[in-house]
Amino acid sequence: MATERPLVLPGDVIPPSLIPTSANPNKKQQPLRLGPGLRHIPPSDIVPTVAGQLITVPHKNSMWVEYNSSRYTPTPSDLVIATISRSGPDFYYASLSPYTANATLPHLSFEGATKKTRPQLPPGSLVYARVTLANKHMDPEIECVSSATGKADGLGPLKDGMVFDISLGFARRLLMARSKEEGKVEVLELLGEEGLAFETAVGRNGKVWVSGASDAKGNEGVNAKTVVVVGRALQETDTKRLGVEQQRKLVKKLVREMR
Amino acid sequence: MTTSAPTLAIPGQLLGHASKYQPGPGTHIHESNLYASLLGTIHVTQPAKAPGPVKRLTKITPAPAPAELPTISVTVPTRSAGAEHQQKKREVLPEVGNVVLCRVIRITPRQAVVAILVCGDTVLDAEWQGLIRVQDVRATEKDRVKIYESFRPGDIVRAEVISLGDQANYYLSTARNELGVILATSEAGNAMHPVNWKEYRDPETGLLELRKVAKPY
Repeated sequence: MATERPLVLPGDVIPPSLIPTSANPNKKQQPLRLGPGLRHIPPSDIVPTVAGQLITVPHKNSMWVEYNSSRYTPTPSDLVIATISRSGPDFYYASLSPYTANATLPHLSFEGATKKTRPQLPPGSLVYARVTLANKHMDPEIECVSSATGKADGLGPLKDGMVFDISLGFARRLLMARSKEEGKVEVLELLGEEGLAFETAVGRNGKVWVSGASDAKGNEGVNAKTVVVVGRALQETDTKRLGVEQQRKLVKKLVREMR
Repeated sequence: MTTSAPTLAIPGQLLGHASKYQPGPGTHIHESNLYASLLGTIHVTQPAKAPGPVKRLTKITPAPAPAELPTISVTVPTRSAGAEHQQKKREVLPEVGNVVLCRVIRITPRQAVVAILVCGDTVLDAEWQGLIRVQDVRATEKDRVKIYESFRPGDIVRAEVISLGDQANYYLSTARNELGVILATSEAGNAMHPVNWKEYRDPETGLLELRKVAKPY
């Protein structure tokens, strides 16, 4: 990762030394890719539009601004947790974030669904879906099956469990490939080490679903406590911005309270 | 019933029989009688006399053809226009088969809602709402059309009226080469130039945007 991550404000001038260029003359010159928070004003200006840390990845020739917010704007190929609000003739209408337009989820967009065999999702049920279409002119569209392969790959209805709200930045850290090193999020591993059995799904729209493990035997009470403890741990890590050591302490405290 | 100098007609007033007059703007036919529809002055225009065949005594001559009947019309006098304008002002409505210019208001995955601005060569007084359904955007591969790659809100589209539709909307189609988007604005806010039948290019940023482009005349 880049060593320097300056704080930028909207409208700041970015010094050209920070803009990565392909230093390797042998390799093909990759075009510079701008991520969220940056805007290209032709011919050669790059301007931040939000306040945050400017992150550059030289070997991929990309740069973006890392900022935290609570309002999710749908982007294609994002994994999200959607709440079904009602059913239409060909689509379910699912909510990705409060007070925004519903996303449409086709009835047949589930693995192995035909007109006769499709999942019946009552209002309030949760699905783990991928955003297929999102632009400022139309309502977003989501799918629960990969349209290329026809397989679900983990998408689909989420049974039981409970959903917790987290900030978008925390959701991104949880979804990182190496969330322990780079995202500094170790809460889930620590809770697992303490012996709790649970499963989670993280949506980029700021939602995390926690459920007691599917093969857990025993009474409902244990599962509910597990879910609540995991959810509380995640939310506290997020709101109080806990580091790894503090996460360790938090997990120990919560597990002790639970037992 | 009068064919003399223009007099006043009120809606519902009997003007004449359908066999004697041809109905013009501002009139309607009910049970073979011509009635006025508007409050205005009555005008009778005599048809141009077409040269007919030489009259033959043995031929049974049919009733006068409709083109030979005088046309009776009721026109509403406007305050500022002169007498000549009163004759020409008439209400233009889009009809089936008319080519219209419209502006895209809203897009949904199944249709584009447009406001019809110009019908033929006449700029309309009121904007009529029209719909371009996703199966009427193109003539080929109708099921694979994506509205977001054909129209965007704010585009000016040349379309053809295919149906008068229901109370709210006309139904339009762009399923011909010369129909489609004629004026588009890019995401950056610049007017774009067409590249081919499905792409517009922003001259300042160089970015391409997908539209269903109308073939220029």
